[in-house]
Amino acid sequence: MQEHILSILIFFPALAAMLGFIVHKDSARAYGITVAAIEFLLSLWLWNIYDPMTSGMQFMEKAPLVAAFGINYLVGIDGISLFIIVLSTFFTMIGIASLTETRRVKDLIITLLFLEMTMVGVFAALDAIVFYVFWELSLIPMLYIIGAWGGPLRIYASVKFFLYTFTGSLVMLVGMLFMAYFYYQATGQWSFSLLEWYRLILPLNFQLWLFAAFFIGFAIKVPMFPFHTWLPYAHGQAPTIGSVILAAILLKMGTYAFVRFSLPLFPDASVFFMFPIATLAIIMIVYTAMVAYAQEDIKQVVAYSSVSHMGVIVLGTFALNVEGISGSIFLMIAHGVVSGALFLLVGVIYDRRHTKLMSEFGGLASVMPRYATIFGIMMMASVGLPLTINFVGEFLSLLGFYKQSHSFTLVAGTAIIVGAIYMLSAYKKMFFGNVTKEENKNLKDVNRTELIALVPLVIITIWLGVYPKPILEPISNSVESIVQLMHDKAQTPEAQARIPNLSNPVAKNSQQETY
Amino acid sequence: MEIYLYIALFAPLTGSLFAALFAASPKTSVTGIVASGLLFTSFVSSVILLNYVMAGHTVHVEMMTWIASGDLYIPFGFVVDQVSVVMMMVVSIVSTIVHIYSIGYMDHDKGFNRFFSYLSAFVFSMMVLVMSDNFLGLFIGWEGVGLCSWLLIGFWYHKESATWAANEAFIMNRIADLAMLIGIFIIYWNIGSLQYDVVFSQIANLPMPIITWIGIFLFIGAMGKSAQFPLHTWLADAMEGPTPVSALIHAATMVTAGVYLVVRANPIYDLIPEVGTVIASLGAFVAMFAATMALVNRDMKRIIAYSTLSQLGYMFVAAGLGAYWVALFHLMAHAFFKALLFLGAGNVMHAMHDELDPFKMGGLKKPMKWTWILMTLASVALAGIYPLAGFFSKDLILEVAFVEQHYILYSVLLATAGLTAFYSFRLVALIFHGDERHLEHGIHPHEAYNFMLYAMAPLGVLAVIAGMVFKTPYYEMVTHLLPAIEYHIHNHTTFWIMTIGTQLFVIAAIAYAYKKYAKAVKVDAKVESGFLYQLLYNQYYIPKLYDELFSKPYRELSKLAWKQIDLKIVDATVDGIANVIYRTGEKTHTMQNGNLSSMLRWMVIGLVVLLVLAIAFTVGYNAVTMRAM
Amino acid sequence: MEITLAHYLVLSSVLFAIGLIGVMRRKNLLMLFFATEILLNATNIGFAAIAHFHNDLTGQMFAFFIIAIAASEVAVGLGLLIVMYKRTGKIDLDIMTSMRG
Repeated sequence: MQEHILSILIFFPALAAMLGFIVHKDSARAYGITVAAIEFLLSLWLWNIYDPMTSGMQFMEKAPLVAAFGINYLVGIDGISLFIIVLSTFFTMIGIASLTETRRVKDLIITLLFLEMTMVGVFAALDAIVFYVFWELSLIPMLYIIGAWGGPLRIYASVKFFLYTFTGSLVMLVGMLFMAYFYYQATGQWSFSLLEWYRLILPLNFQLWLFAAFFIGFAIKVPMFPFHTWLPYAHGQAPTIGSVILAAILLKMGTYAFVRFSLPLFPDASVFFMFPIATLAIIMIVYTAMVAYAQEDIKQVVAYSSVSHMGVIVLGTFALNVEGISGSIFLMIAHGVVSGALFLLVGVIYDRRHTKLMSEFGGLASVMPRYATIFGIMMMASVGLPLTINFVGEFLSLLGFYKQSHSFTLVAGTAIIVGAIYMLSAYKKMFFGNVTKEENKNLKDVNRTELIALVPLVIITIWLGVYPKPILEPISNSVESIVQLMHDKAQTPEAQARIPNLSNPVAKNSQQETY
Repeated sequence: MEIYLYIALFAPLTGSLFAALFAASPKTSVTGIVASGLLFTSFVSSVILLNYVMAGHTVHVEMMTWIASGDLYIPFGFVVDQVSVVMMMVVSIVSTIVHIYSIGYMDHDKGFNRFFSYLSAFVFSMMVLVMSDNFLGLFIGWEGVGLCSWLLIGFWYHKESATWAANEAFIMNRIADLAMLIGIFIIYWNIGSLQYDVVFSQIANLPMPIITWIGIFLFIGAMGKSAQFPLHTWLADAMEGPTPVSALIHAATMVTAGVYLVVRANPIYDLIPEVGTVIASLGAFVAMFAATMALVNRDMKRIIAYSTLSQLGYMFVAAGLGAYWVALFHLMAHAFFKALLFLGAGNVMHAMHDELDPFKMGGLKKPMKWTWILMTLASVALAGIYPLAGFFSKDLILEVAFVEQHYILYSVLLATAGLTAFYSFRLVALIFHGDERHLEHGIHPHEAYNFMLYAMAPLGVLAVIAGMVFKTPYYEMVTHLLPAIEYHIHNHTTFWIMTIGTQLFVIAAIAYAYKKYAKAVKVDAKVESGFLYQLLYNQYYIPKLYDELFSKPYRELSKLAWKQIDLKIVDATVDGIANVIYRTGEKTHTMQNGNLSSMLRWMVIGLVVLLVLAIAFTVGYNAVTMRAM
Repeated sequence: MEITLAHYLVLSSVLFAIGLIGVMRRKNLLMLFFATEILLNATNIGFAAIAHFHNDLTGQMFAFFIIAIAASEVAVGLGLLIVMYKRTGKIDLDIMTSMRG
């Protein structure tokens, strides 16, 4: 079982989704929770048997799909993908467990399980085509979730979401095909295996074009400024569960792909594009934080705050050193937990009041004290308070980028200021002051179903903020191998200078002494 | 000894969590008593540690790894040495007293349990701040006290002004925290570690500009927490919080964190005396600046807050001039008498039903005898009259400025000392002497609970003896770690002239304050409508300026970014592209009209176009290849 | 005057043009078939001529193929035309709009 664990993780939810059609609709919820819980336990088991000291790929599986073109079903994980997979299974589980939707629950659960397959598949895939297939497949359930269970503008939002991301990924597909063609030219064999692509050193001008092609696909997914406008609509219209999964997992596909594809495949281009991308990231951070401040709808505040935080993640990724990349991956997890929790929290109040406008609330702290407390903790995590999960990631990302540019980091660091501004003012509008609206006077505090989802998230937020080592260590180990690979492949002098060499600095020093 | 360190550190956290358990339930005194008891435990452990440190040892523990990635390694490490133990003593004494006091003060408040949870959490953060052995650990405490400050300023969250002040404080501190983070980044990338011992031992090897930048950024961080100009406005607004909070956080402990940082980082600041001079000048400026605002203010707590600000300025003068031990000493003495002053103000507020305007009080010395005595004592100490605490710490700073030959700073500080005495006793006179103006408002004041007064008594004692008794042992202890420079004016005549002169000057200011305010209060309309008075009363119009200069434009810009840029430019472009494609389809779908002959015509046109393209391409391609040949 | 390849090609092009105009202008289905035949035969002439002048029989072979295909096309097409006429009583092109987009 151990050697097929990844395939089981990928296809078990899909199989369960198929079987879900014959489950009676009253027991669909229980069925969904059971399946998601088993899947989550499997992923925990995967974490347990994962060897944190090894930096390379583990649990690899390979089966030929189109042998003539070197397309294989190739999956494997390292410290980078492991935790995002665990995060995906975790969020699917608590998402289903805390489901408050009453319309066509069975269909929704089947859709979610199918979505889980695509998410795990994306993060486990090591073959570009397999990756692409899962990447595109993940759009369909999301399209369906927004389009079928969404708000009044759902059709517009879902179509926008689908077409926008789909367009981007087509460009990415062209890049992949060209990459494979280049591999064929260089070696005489077709291959879509990422690990084999890693060995290829491309000329700079090829790198630039390919980087750009991949970038468009990833950047729309992240979403990076100025490709971000599909996100507020998607979040605004999606049901709570859709927003949670979208913010917690789907956005991470973009940043994950930067680490998996862009950096190791095109190290010189990564350095070449570092500052343009950092500029975009800073615009994302500051500009979207300002936009978030202007919002009237609490869900949009959280949505734009997601974009702002993704900016920090992108910045950390393009720090191109171990601290920065590890930090950005850690922040992906952290942001998943925190923004997922925030969307769940917004869902809680939406279920009660059927509005998300902040002006409709006020003084909720006295009506719903537990809700206010949990919201407060998550808000502080989002703001990046030390000893919460976000701080570790943000600190490392910014620290990493400081090595590359001082002034950029100084500007990007305003994230901690502007973040505090929109979050605190939103919190103030919702929770502080007197209860002015009659409808708010008798609101019920969070109930048990909601606590099932929220309490674990609070625990994780603080636990990993105080003790991030269990996941930071494997991440760092895997990141080290990526950074080393980038350094070894770098050709331009600038890239060689900017990407640190990690291979045994002690030995190098002693060598210098002998001279 | 490690066990005592852990007790001192985690007892407040335990108290906080315990109180948090009852946060949703109705008021129980248990939470207050348990939290206070645990703080007392923390205090006892601190005393034991103090004894241990006085004997010349230090305690250094590494609890566990926090962040480790790449070359970065940051543990949860704690150190009890000569500097941190002083801070621990100050924090634990004042917070224990404030906790006990709060049991009485918050007696009738709905959020009693919640209050103790926050207050103990604050003490825990403060302990982390002072005990940490690395910069990032300090940053944990730094942000932690910021969070607790936010919670406590906005404790009465139904009040708009309170929540506004809480957010203001948090955001302003965040601005400074960014600078502090940058300082930490510089340290890490140049030294490769954030541990104090490593950093301080290697800092001298760095090039000068880098040390300077480190010093500047760390100091900007300190400016936020210690509310130095131009990040000072939050402190006065923070008085919206309950008064014990003001006493503990905004007078005795949190606001002094900035001074602590500079003192702690003394090996860095020793290398950059220019930055030190800037710090000292800013400190002197703030001392004067804040004192002038305190002169005319009509809000009891704000007056004390400005006085705090002013005293923080004094501390920065000392720290900037390299007299770190003096700064720390004044920090300690100030914590005692200022906390006392605030707690006394709390008693008065209770008696006056939360009235803050001293002009509506008067003659309270009869019903509130003990409060009057304690507050007068604190004011005397603050004014720096021999032999109370302020004399030994504050006048020492004057001497430092004199010995270091910064005569301008000296004169500014001297003038400020006069102002300090004046506004302190203006307050005392207005509250406790003169006519009982409050009777007009139908208020019948009463003294606070006895145990609250007993709780305040130790602070009263400390305010009296802290300078006299502690100075020598304190000096011997901290100079193990801080530069041991004795500030003596060698010329005896000068020394006596200065000391007595200062004393006389201060006493004259006190007498003037009494004369002006102790009997009848005449409101001089001409003075009050004067430009100077208005300028001071409106805090130099700085809050207004900030509002116009930063808050409003930011709000407007945000609206603009959303409504104009995001919706009308970025999103509209995307939709525009989609619309172009869509409309092209709409416009051209008539082509598919089903009429075979017109479709054939289109086919022919398409064929012709393709042929033309093929020919053009061939011709062009041939032309290019021919030329290439 | 000697008849060269160019003459044949010009003839072929002229015929092709006539056929093309016929395809475009005619509304009667029968006439359309005639026009199509002209188009096909125009190409046949081209093929045959080029085959002759290049001494390569492939072109003539193609011409035969085209004749065969044209014949079968006419057979099927006329069959459909007759069915169409029986249904509607017209063989006008403009009434056939069931493929309207």
